[in-house]
Amino acid sequence: MAETLLWVLPLVPTVTAVLMLTTRDRRMLSAIDIGGSVVLLALTLVLAREVATGGPRALGVFRIDALGLVFLLLLVVLTLAVSIYTVGWLRQAVAVGNMKAEFLRSYFALVHAFVATMVVTVLADNLGILWIAMEGTTITSAILVGFHGHHHGLEAAWKYIIVTTIGISFGLFGTVLIYAAAAAAGVQGGAGALSWSAIMKVAPTLDPGIVRVGFIFVVVGYGTKAGLAPMHLWLPDAHSQAPTPVSALLSGVLIKCALLGIIRFQTIAAAACGPAFPAQVLLIFGLISIVVATPFILAQHDIKRLLGYHSVEHVGIVALGLGFGGPVGTYGALLHVVNHGITKALAFFAAGKAIARYGSRDMRVIRGLFVVAPIGATLLMLAALSLAGVPPFSIFVSELMVLRAGIGHGDWVAIAIFLTMVVVIFAGILHHVSAMAFGEPTAAAGREAEAWSPLLGMWLLAAIMILLGLTIPASLDRLLRRATEIIVG
Amino acid sequence: MSAETVQTIIDDLGALLLFTMILIVAAGQIYRAIYAVAAQSFLIAIAGGVLAMATGNVDLWVIAGVTLAVKATLLPWVLHRVVQRMNVRREVEPVIPIAGTLALAVVIVVASFQLSASLGPVRQAITGNALPVGIALTLTGVLVMATRKTALTQMVGLFASENGIFFTAMAVTQGMPLIIEIGVILDVILAALVMTIMVLRVRSTVDADIADLDRLRG
Amino acid sequence: MTGGRPLGLVLLEMILLVLLGPLVTGTIQKMKARLQCRQGAGVLQPYRDLAKLLRKSTVQADTASGFFRSIPLLVLAATVAAGALVPVVRVGPPAVPLGDAVMLLGLLALARFLTAVGALDAGGAFGGMGASREMTIAPLVEPVLMMVVFSTAVGAGTTELGTLAAHRGTSWILGWSAADFLGFAAMLVLLPAETGRIPVDNPDTHLELTMLHEGMLLEHSGPGLGCMVLASHTRQIVTLGLVSALFFPVGPANGAGATSLLLGAGRFAATILVLATYLALVESSYAKLRLFRVPQYLGVGFVCALTALALRIL
Repeated sequence: MAETLLWVLPLVPTVTAVLMLTTRDRRMLSAIDIGGSVVLLALTLVLAREVATGGPRALGVFRIDALGLVFLLLLVVLTLAVSIYTVGWLRQAVAVGNMKAEFLRSYFALVHAFVATMVVTVLADNLGILWIAMEGTTITSAILVGFHGHHHGLEAAWKYIIVTTIGISFGLFGTVLIYAAAAAAGVQGGAGALSWSAIMKVAPTLDPGIVRVGFIFVVVGYGTKAGLAPMHLWLPDAHSQAPTPVSALLSGVLIKCALLGIIRFQTIAAAACGPAFPAQVLLIFGLISIVVATPFILAQHDIKRLLGYHSVEHVGIVALGLGFGGPVGTYGALLHVVNHGITKALAFFAAGKAIARYGSRDMRVIRGLFVVAPIGATLLMLAALSLAGVPPFSIFVSELMVLRAGIGHGDWVAIAIFLTMVVVIFAGILHHVSAMAFGEPTAAAGREAEAWSPLLGMWLLAAIMILLGLTIPASLDRLLRRATEIIVG
Repeated sequence: MSAETVQTIIDDLGALLLFTMILIVAAGQIYRAIYAVAAQSFLIAIAGGVLAMATGNVDLWVIAGVTLAVKATLLPWVLHRVVQRMNVRREVEPVIPIAGTLALAVVIVVASFQLSASLGPVRQAITGNALPVGIALTLTGVLVMATRKTALTQMVGLFASENGIFFTAMAVTQGMPLIIEIGVILDVILAALVMTIMVLRVRSTVDADIADLDRLRG
Repeated sequence: MTGGRPLGLVLLEMILLVLLGPLVTGTIQKMKARLQCRQGAGVLQPYRDLAKLLRKSTVQADTASGFFRSIPLLVLAATVAAGALVPVVRVGPPAVPLGDAVMLLGLLALARFLTAVGALDAGGAFGGMGASREMTIAPLVEPVLMMVVFSTAVGAGTTELGTLAAHRGTSWILGWSAADFLGFAAMLVLLPAETGRIPVDNPDTHLELTMLHEGMLLEHSGPGLGCMVLASHTRQIVTLGLVSALFFPVGPANGAGATSLLLGAGRFAATILVLATYLALVESSYAKLRLFRVPQYLGVGFVCALTALALRIL
């Protein structure tokens, strides 16, 4: 049962994408959209229960274990939220002219194709399939980034596709090196030597020199996709120019899928060269990301670029957590993946509504949001507070865990840098968002009522965010613990 | 065919690949870069064929054939057509002078040799010069992508980089499993397609090269 | 180091090179003409030109010193001496140690230097310009030649040209190592620069803007000019002989019989013909590069040579 689900799961969004091409009616498209996402979520929950009771399942090149399940759940929840949000957002976008009605079905089809490629990324046991699916996500999302069709979008899409393809080539090179090491260590040739589970079994016998070089290439490669600095240059452009629902998916899930790729290789490297080496590499990249993102957050005018740089920072925090390592650090990192995904998507949704209302992305134009759109403003404030790391929201919890892991690790320099940056960013984002939310509305403010469907999507995410801030439900906790075990060993 | 002959042929092909790589870096016109990368893919296909003959691995024949058809013929032809029809800029605009890029290319070659020398033991699978040449090709492709302002030359750099990875995979492990190689080639085709469409899109609306746009800042 | 080639043979080879130099130039001219769909002058035309020059009298600028008159002879002497170092019909080190490939390049560099000095000595504008341009090219060409020689020498353990040629053996392309491919590519890039042909220099024109080598010859006349022209022919065949010794397969190393000598000579002639064809093709296919683009062009050769050296050493 669970094994067939492994093949069915990528097929669901694929079929949804194909179905989108059959109709031009917007309502019909949204209905298929939501329907497909609900089916995906339902099947994933079934799979989750199967894995919770029965352990990891595998079928051919696909495999699901607790680690993959964390990312998969994040993906399907966000897909559903995005589908709900898109209903209202699209109506407004078509009315304004940002989206052309004749391209709608390609948009929906591409979004679900994008989701399908991400599902394959998470489910892949074969490292080659992982790479191919990663490249697939790049191609589909690049088209989506430039979907609005104007020059800023195309420029962002070009930079995105070039930089990430360069990066992912490095990732392929690293994969080849690991494959060579595995083949030399006697894993059976052919597809076997690319299978993560097979490699993990012989990982201690792999040649450490090759694995070291391969891992570095992989971190640079998949790190480009994940938004680790200094390979992050494409991220603010791409995430800000894309249509808002796509931005939510990009920042919420895609960069996490790339992180999953890194984690898979990290487990191999830890077994082959000892856990200190990959931890050190991730620590360095994490710190660089956090430090590099901060000044750009402070000096930002474009709200979506601000959120993009925030993603860079939070990916850095996840890398930091993985770098500190140990059960606490890894658990914190995984929890942060989930929390940040939810929160960032919420932030993008709220920002998207604000941009639609004011007709501009510039934060200096968006003023007095509380007056014209109180619910949207509240949600924006909640999301911003959460991103800044304020309790009782979810990100505070995971950041605290990462911090504890750092203290336990004794890495005082890293902790000092981390804390300083977090404080600075807290001030910065609070300044930006409060300037937007309070005060008198500018002339550009649209005064129409708030649409219900985007709000519904946003409340869904906000609820999860607050819940996770207050407590972690037992099932999730178990899942995260098992995933941590897979990584830490 | 003895193992040494195969080794020598792969080494020689590696040297020729380095030569085509130098041509790509030093190309002053887009046509020369396209022809150089086509020649490079052709050489890779030959290397695949030689390895296929030596190891009897049928997969390698398929890979060699697909490389020949796609990366040595189809993609350069598409790029050539785009340059001809769409009046994109023919001169390659470098960010740093070409002499500087050449110097960096030399540094990369030397560094690749040092790197692969330090990799030590997994040498029984690795044929001599192939690994450093592969690394050098990959890194130089990235160099070309990073230091050129012409969109099509960036794509050429991408193809060169993929060639490098292919060569390494072919020579180090006698190729990755067939389905992976095919998947990789498909990805490259799709990426090239999407990129070509973007280039033409910007070209037709504004008389600018897409890689030139730099209005997003900060 | 001493070896198989007797001194008499070496001197014979040297004279042979000098005598055949103009023939090579004539062949290249003829091939170029044919490629450009015209008849062209005969293959022996350079000989007739030399004879004509020897009959004429010398005219010297007032500003030139006595040293100027001796320049042509010195240049010719240096180039011919370089010719003695090239193995033609037989390989292996000469019986009397004469010098190695580095010495050959040094002699060619000396000839180039003396030519430039002579051009400056006459005090004319064209001479000065030609000399300065030639000296701009020289630092790019000569180190690359050195690197190519060294990359081959590292494999053989010596820089003596005869031994290097013997080391090459009878194998050709399949016997080349990876570094040899790149070294040969570098030499192909450099040949037009060293022999003063398109795309670096135009040997057919006497327009001021396109002259490098010709500019330096402008002030010479009569037998002096004849010597300089002969020196440039000899320089060309010496460079081709260098490439042949380093990269092309050789005739039988030993065997004193006439047949082996003839075979060696034939093989040498064939190699020279191949390289001459290459030069003719390049000259007919490309336009002359502007001076500031020449470093880019030579840069390709530089990178190839450096990579060849790196491949040998690493």
